[in-house]
Amino acid sequence: MKDFQHLLHVAAVFTVAIAAFLAIRHIVVPASFGRLGHYRADAVDEIKALPVLYAGERSCAPCHQEQTKDKSAGPHRTMACESCHGPALTHEAKPKAVHPFRPKEADIRTFCSACHERSLSRPRKFPQIEERKHQTGAPCIMCHPPHRPK
Amino acid sequence: MKNLNRRQFLKFASVTALAAALQTLVSPLAAAEKFFREPPWKGKKKYWGFAVDIDKCIGCGRCAKACKTENDVPKEPFFFRTWVERYILRRPAGLEVTSPNGGIDGYPALTSPETITKTFFVPKLCNLCDSPPCVQSCPVGATFKSEDGVVLVDRKWCVGCRYCIQACPYGVRYLHPVLHVADKCTLCYHRISRGLRPACVEVCPTGARMHGDLSDPNSPLSKLRDTSHYQTLKPHMGTRPNLVYLNMDQEVR
Repeated sequence: MKDFQHLLHVAAVFTVAIAAFLAIRHIVVPASFGRLGHYRADAVDEIKALPVLYAGERSCAPCHQEQTKDKSAGPHRTMACESCHGPALTHEAKPKAVHPFRPKEADIRTFCSACHERSLSRPRKFPQIEERKHQTGAPCIMCHPPHRPK
Repeated sequence: MKNLNRRQFLKFASVTALAAALQTLVSPLAAAEKFFREPPWKGKKKYWGFAVDIDKCIGCGRCAKACKTENDVPKEPFFFRTWVERYILRRPAGLEVTSPNGGIDGYPALTSPETITKTFFVPKLCNLCDSPPCVQSCPVGATFKSEDGVVLVDRKWCVGCRYCIQACPYGVRYLHPVLHVADKCTLCYHRISRGLRPACVEVCPTGARMHGDLSDPNSPLSKLRDTSHYQTLKPHMGTRPNLVYLNMDQEVR
């Protein structure tokens, strides 16, 4: 009977320790941890809720029909509007107050050259010019309308 | 059971041992078979993948710039979720890989072009591994592979230990200097979940980048994978990326 007392003591210690472990674990580990895997499932929704800046191609067409039509007929058809004009979701929300980026005429040669300057690294078929030699001083858009270049 | 004589006992014992040995051989084989043969999108409603066509990339850097804008990536020239590298192969043998500011401001003019044999651009981003070393190495479960196949970081749970940054064989992770958590390409998870294209795909002028659903055999990406020659980066690492490269040279790492 004296030996049995020892077992009871050990059992009591274990019960308290396990209960404490479970209690601490309950407090420390977030509720959604482990629901989908070894991570906090709520994090997925938090990442989904991050703000968007680029509105996406289909947002522009309803208002800018002319440009959309022009673009779809020319070699720039593979490009999205925001490729040149930058993020435009705020413009979509407040069309009068916020205007998306539009390259200035003075910078247009540099702007177009970002893609069209001749480089050995570019695919051979891609249209390229040597900006330094090609119609020096003239803004590109004088001859090449940007939405439907030729 | 009736008493066995020695011969019967030995026979029974050896057959049992043999069966047990076979079992230990077969079950890992079955697991390996499943691991290598079954596509990870089996039974999934959606599973995101990505493809890059190197022959279409013109190195304009719009993708890297749009990514930084959309995802509020620090503007310093060493934090990138996606960037574009320029490969230059020369004769006699020589390989240069450069990515000044991720390609956002363009590249310097090529020196001594007569020695160049090949040169091309390679956009880099998260490889969407099916066995991601970054997830394996995270001690707290802050980085994970979502149900639809994107490797994400839980910013609230990350302790900023940088293990994942060291583990990633593709160098796509960095420690966010303001938030002090690991950060990486999320395939613009906030955009693709709303039906938009990732920012880099949206702005790519030549369609060199493509994202899509691998679980749908009729999605444009699945069809592209069915009909083109593609490779993945560092296949020997066993990471099994879902980012594939079309028209890729073997020099690309």
